[in-house]
Amino acid sequence: MTDIALRAVHLTKRYGRLTALDDLNLDVIRGEVFGFLGPNGAGKSTTIRLLLGLARPSSGHAEVFGVAAADVTRAHRLLAYVPADVALWPHMTGAEILHLQARTGPGTDLAYRDELVDRFELDPSKPARTYSTGNRQKVALIAAFATRAPLLVLDEPTSGLDPLMEREFRTAVRSARDRGQTVFLSSHQLAEVEAVCDRVAILRAGHLADVATMSGLRALHRSEVTVSYTGPAPALAVVPGVEAITETGEGQLRFTLTGPPAPALRSLAAAGVTALAVREPSLEEVFLDYYGTENGR
Amino acid sequence: MTSVAVAGRPGRAVSQLAIRQIRRGGLIVAVLAGGMTAIVAATFDQVMADPAAAGSLQALASNPAIRTLFGDPIGLDTAGGFTVWRVGTVTTVLLGAWAILATTRTTRGEEEGGRWDLLLSGRITLTGALARHLAAVMAIAVATAVGITGALIASGTPAPGALIHGMGTGLAGLFFGATAALAAQIFPTRTPATGTAVAVLAVTLLARMIGDGVPALGWLRWLSPFGLMALSEPYVHNRAVPLLVLLAAAATVTVAVPLAAARRDVRGGLVAPPTGRPARLRLLDNVEAFAIRRVLRPLTGWALGIGAYFLLIGLTATSVTEFLAGNPALAGQAAEAGFADLGSVAGFAATLFALLAMPVGGFATVRLSAFVAAETDQRLALLAAQPISRARLLGAETAATAAAAVLLISVAGLTTWAGVALTGGHLALTAALHGVWNTFPVVLLSLGAAVLATGWAPRWTGVLGALPAIGGFLLLVIADSVAAPAWVKSLSPYSHLAPVPLAGADWAATAVMLALTAVLTVAGLAGYRQRDLRS
Repeated sequence: MTDIALRAVHLTKRYGRLTALDDLNLDVIRGEVFGFLGPNGAGKSTTIRLLLGLARPSSGHAEVFGVAAADVTRAHRLLAYVPADVALWPHMTGAEILHLQARTGPGTDLAYRDELVDRFELDPSKPARTYSTGNRQKVALIAAFATRAPLLVLDEPTSGLDPLMEREFRTAVRSARDRGQTVFLSSHQLAEVEAVCDRVAILRAGHLADVATMSGLRALHRSEVTVSYTGPAPALAVVPGVEAITETGEGQLRFTLTGPPAPALRSLAAAGVTALAVREPSLEEVFLDYYGTENGR
Repeated sequence: MTSVAVAGRPGRAVSQLAIRQIRRGGLIVAVLAGGMTAIVAATFDQVMADPAAAGSLQALASNPAIRTLFGDPIGLDTAGGFTVWRVGTVTTVLLGAWAILATTRTTRGEEEGGRWDLLLSGRITLTGALARHLAAVMAIAVATAVGITGALIASGTPAPGALIHGMGTGLAGLFFGATAALAAQIFPTRTPATGTAVAVLAVTLLARMIGDGVPALGWLRWLSPFGLMALSEPYVHNRAVPLLVLLAAAATVTVAVPLAAARRDVRGGLVAPPTGRPARLRLLDNVEAFAIRRVLRPLTGWALGIGAYFLLIGLTATSVTEFLAGNPALAGQAAEAGFADLGSVAGFAATLFALLAMPVGGFATVRLSAFVAAETDQRLALLAAQPISRARLLGAETAATAAAAVLLISVAGLTTWAGVALTGGHLALTAALHGVWNTFPVVLLSLGAAVLATGWAPRWTGVLGALPAIGGFLLLVIADSVAAPAWVKSLSPYSHLAPVPLAGADWAATAVMLALTAVLTVAGLAGYRQRDLRS
């Protein structure tokens, strides 16, 4: 088995004249928790449907541990999936659905499944028609986390969960990583991605905008720098990467910095800096950097 | 000020939504009902070409079994009376069944699916939304009534009779639509609501059959829309009172709908569903078992309906055939009217067994449509993400449906045999089973067509699946009626169906149908393997 858990090669999907996904190239490495970010309509779910072989690419191809995604009998032995909008058979109880998923799936740890049912506080005796959105999501999450599949594909899995269950979800993701499972997490919940992901891909209007580690992503983006100084005001306006300079008080400046900090530090050196604080951008700020002006379209 | 105008008419928007959801099916029903009526009315002169015919057909009325099966043949000597007898029940059942399915689908079905939550958060009320959706269905019933009346008048039959029959059919449509809407207030899910309304249709049809067949129980007809239509005696007495009773019944049920709706929560019903139960883990171990599990419940319902009908056929078979055997001229007339070889129990059974392919082909189509619906509303997504090939997923559904269809037609054979045996007639069990199994290739053709549609044009599964078993039958009836060229008739699978058990099976035709089924199924599976699942 290769070390690439998921691979997309020139993956493209067109619906008539609409290009939902355009030439996506992506490698998800075995054992990592990979965040897949993008606003609504960016093509996240389309990508996942292609990776799962639920839809056929217009061009390009996808692989799951080296197995063609279209070969679902082999590829799906290696993965478990939680859809964005979980629909269940209305007459079946949670327990019956979990049983069906376990018996038809890639192998399930039944003891861990029971533990997850407790942790997610799911009442499995109820018929699915009575479940709320969150409860339906719990059923799918429990079924997926309880498998021993080496890859978990989660499509916006926590949109219906309350904060307590969201915490359980993060715990479950970390345990999955500790067991060596790879997690592909599509989301637009930035705090969640920030909390659990090693690497992040950002999708915008069907294009891959960026792939980076969390820290790399932050480094690529604007840090907020606050300085206090006693000497002459530093000549920052001409320094590449420095923007939005504001005087916040007597001998105090705040500015944003993109890229390597060396040029900015050099011009600060002459100013007699007494205090320097650098705040890394939150994922939200990174996200807004990508989508803020164009609204993702 | 466009925005103000739009905001001011939430009700109209809901009405438009209701109409959009039913217009295609409604149009088909209205055109089919009017068209069948017009075609049969046009055949009257042909059937009546023989001077002896009118008299012998009238004699048919004296047989209780004939009354039971085909309704009271009143006024057979007129084009109008003949038409009412030939298609009246069929068009009424067609309209009634459609009204039920359309009503529960657009009201309880939409509400159960959560799509009314958003709708009702606006200014429209629950009763308002219900009224508008029911009104849309009722408008189709009225349109069908107008179509039937128009067809009868255009065929040259007297207007009063045409009006009485058209209004009777329309009122029955209104009654069943309202009944379905009421059932949808009682039950929180669509299936029991539909089931209850369909049971009302079946029981009231049965009440008319019993009322027609057993004079002492003739009053039963006052309790049934079908009975009331018969009592109105179009073209003979043109009685308005039974129709007024039917109108009152439809109005009462309609008024009960908002009253019941006011006593329940949105997404709730008057009866509350059980909140929890122990897990039943049988038949959940693989997709094949799961397909069987899902077919069991609908299979039971269909088996009850089909079993009851064919038990009735069996119970009346001896009486009808003895009567026809004693009246050769009559038997000839029955043949003219589309029922050949009715002179022996075997011939009678063979003729009616051919009809069996229609409901069972319909069953197969409905099952595949349900499979497509599960895909459309994403219920299938979790299974499709398991290590299960698409071909196996659809193959399991197809195989379970085919097995269920075999059981259904076997039930028909068994109940017919039991009915004949109970009345002291002669029909061997093996003959009955051979007779029903002979129709299986036609059912399979429908299943194959539905699989093909599932693979290539999932939206058309219902229409394409119904084409061989139901469309084929209609084609034969229409081709017979208009004396169409032989090749037109030969397009219908029914024209290749040997009258088993009266004669041996036509193995060549059977082989062709089976081969065609195989081609359709393989092509359907191939399409399903390569297409995108619906999202």
